[in-house]
Amino acid sequence: MNVLPAEEELMVKNAAREFLDAECPPSLARAIEQDERGYSVELWEKMASLGWFGISLPESYGGGGLPVTYLGLILEECGRAIAPVPFHSTATAALAVAYHGSDEQQQTILPRVARGDLIMTWAVQEQDPRLRADAIQCRGEVDGDSLIINGVKHFVDNFSAAELMVMAVRTAAPTDASAGITLAIVPTNAAGITETRLTTLAKDSQSKLNLDGVRIPLSNVIGEVDQGWPATSEMLDTGTALLCTQIIGAARKDAEMAIDYAKNRVAFGRPIAGFQSIQHLCADMIVWVDGAQLLTYEALWKLDAGLPYGVEVSQAKAFTNDKCQATVRSSQQIHGGIGFMMEFDLHLWYRRVTAWTMRLGTSFEHRARVARALLDQPGKVRLGMNLQPVA
Amino acid sequence: MEFAFTPEQEALRAEVQQFIAENVTPEIVEELESTGIRRRGPKTREMYQHIAERGWIGISWPKEYGGQAGSRIDQYIVEEEFARAGITVGGAGSGAPAILAAGTEEQKQEFLPGIIRGEISFALGFTEPQAGADLAGLQCRAVRDGDEYVINGQKMYTTAAHYATHIYLMARTDPDAPRHRGISIFLIPMDTPGITVRPLWTIQNDPPAPLGTTYGDNRTNETFFENVRVPASCMLGEENQGWYVGAMGLNLDRVGASRYLISIQRDEDIVNWVKENEIEGIAMREDPTVRDRLADMWIEGQVCRLMTLRSMSIVEQEGTFTYEGSAEKVFAPEHGVRTTETIAQMLGPYGQLLNGSEDAIESGVFAHNLMGAFQSGINHGSVQVMRDQVARRGLGMPRV
Repeated sequence: MNVLPAEEELMVKNAAREFLDAECPPSLARAIEQDERGYSVELWEKMASLGWFGISLPESYGGGGLPVTYLGLILEECGRAIAPVPFHSTATAALAVAYHGSDEQQQTILPRVARGDLIMTWAVQEQDPRLRADAIQCRGEVDGDSLIINGVKHFVDNFSAAELMVMAVRTAAPTDASAGITLAIVPTNAAGITETRLTTLAKDSQSKLNLDGVRIPLSNVIGEVDQGWPATSEMLDTGTALLCTQIIGAARKDAEMAIDYAKNRVAFGRPIAGFQSIQHLCADMIVWVDGAQLLTYEALWKLDAGLPYGVEVSQAKAFTNDKCQATVRSSQQIHGGIGFMMEFDLHLWYRRVTAWTMRLGTSFEHRARVARALLDQPGKVRLGMNLQPVA
Repeated sequence: MEFAFTPEQEALRAEVQQFIAENVTPEIVEELESTGIRRRGPKTREMYQHIAERGWIGISWPKEYGGQAGSRIDQYIVEEEFARAGITVGGAGSGAPAILAAGTEEQKQEFLPGIIRGEISFALGFTEPQAGADLAGLQCRAVRDGDEYVINGQKMYTTAAHYATHIYLMARTDPDAPRHRGISIFLIPMDTPGITVRPLWTIQNDPPAPLGTTYGDNRTNETFFENVRVPASCMLGEENQGWYVGAMGLNLDRVGASRYLISIQRDEDIVNWVKENEIEGIAMREDPTVRDRLADMWIEGQVCRLMTLRSMSIVEQEGTFTYEGSAEKVFAPEHGVRTTETIAQMLGPYGQLLNGSEDAIESGVFAHNLMGAFQSGINHGSVQVMRDQVARRGLGMPRV
């Protein structure tokens, strides 16, 4: 038991910070908000050359073979730098292929991801955005060697940048044996997909997709038809834990900006950092982000260790949502009027953290899942125990 | 990072759990409830002897002083399991961390094995009527006289003073020095002539709190020093360095004697209680609001656990920390308050019934917690002072 990152983990994290400090100024995030492609090709290519995209993919497919905690630490730094690249969606989808894909699927996809030649995303949520199998209504029908998809997918990240999506569709009604969900790899340029671009608080790339008779080969199915819910759920959990790292990175940076600002902003004859009301708010911000970080690291570590981790992911996301939102709001409070001027950079972090807290599960949803695990299965519970999620 | 215990540590945990199952008998619980959790009646003293024989008190202390040279994580495991049973072990709150860090060889030999054997215990003599959160304003005087010091003054909230063998006293040795630099620490036998202890009864005394209550002490004390003569060898650390010795000791004492371990029983008990019980046929576990709030509390409890483990990890790795112990002491007490107040609203009028009342739930433990949980945000450094420390030590913000 040592909850602190090890020396090798810190080396990777610090290297990521140094690189992003040099290569990813806030002006880049600001510029990309106006960019049709929705990401910085230049930054993406530089990051690819560092081997980040494959860091936690298997070595046999060109990856670094390191625990997913390493990927989390890098994404935390990407969050800190609000790096405008489709890394999170690519990592989430690629890990689903790495964990559940066939050898052929892995061979086709993972080396390209590791090289940075392939941008991916995931498509699970719909008009009912809750992270549960019965919210998935987009239909998939097996037709010979094909799967034909009809329906809607909502809140899809980086659609226009991505080449492939990992998509969950309903191929059967739920039974005791199966949730009736199939997970499949769908090219974004498949005939029958119509994209509507959404305007988000983060001013990043999310889309609503209409799928009208989209036909993909059955060989694109990940695992078995109708049996895709466990893999889908795991992809959502992986993506959620990784999103937490991004939120934490961004929120900590946001808090640090407030602390620096307070040390320099003079009011009533002294830097406002000398007022206890400001100090205590800053102390709370750091305590909150620290707590979110510890929960998130534990979830990622358990994921990698092959232990039950779904409850830990939900703990992390619920706490991260509430406390990191409070952190960036407090930072705005400390900055006063200048903090919400368009020309000042702070809002770049505020808007992203706020939007990210609403994605991949609200605090209510995640706490409901924690409550199910605590209350709806037999046995006494203990803090720190390995607790199985309850669907 | 590594969020798992080693097989040896898991075996230690199992051993402690088995010990508790076999030794924390209903008779022990009854005795603890009648004496107050920290005071030891004859049966409890005997049980502590057995705990000491297993090597679990002072488990992380060096072997030459009776410890096991175990890791801080071993200590954490032992403390956590006993905390679940409502029992405090590990030498926490004893002044032992400061003695280990600043004591002379003679002092270590004199006190540490005795603490382990349960023969020596300390009352904390820091606070005064006019020096609480602003401890450096303390007035209790110690004047050098040959090979002795003569002590005069008054200490407040010396909780264990009526049963401890010693007091861990902070007194002013140089009234002309800047106030942080004129303070020294003394380790003084309570039977020294001139020491008088007067009880202060807390709101937990009527009726007495049941075992499992957070901060169940029903009695604390004020302690008076009138021309108390002690040998100079009673001093811990250098003369006039007592502020730093004391602060370091308090800081280290926060690790393990943490707020998490105080709240752990309550956090787990309420979830398990709601899971298994109904009030007059009302199953609270089915209420969506209750479920949301319980999950929220549980998650905060996990944060408290992880912050404690973080402090332990840092001390194990680096010896001491900057702000992390204070961060833990901000979050955990306020978590305790949020939890007890939420439970109150879940239980409604049943939640106000105290120990011994008709229809009291679990001997009124949740009602008694409402009189205790907020105390943890006051004792041993208030949450406001802790926030000052996070801001200054952790964030480099200026002294106000």
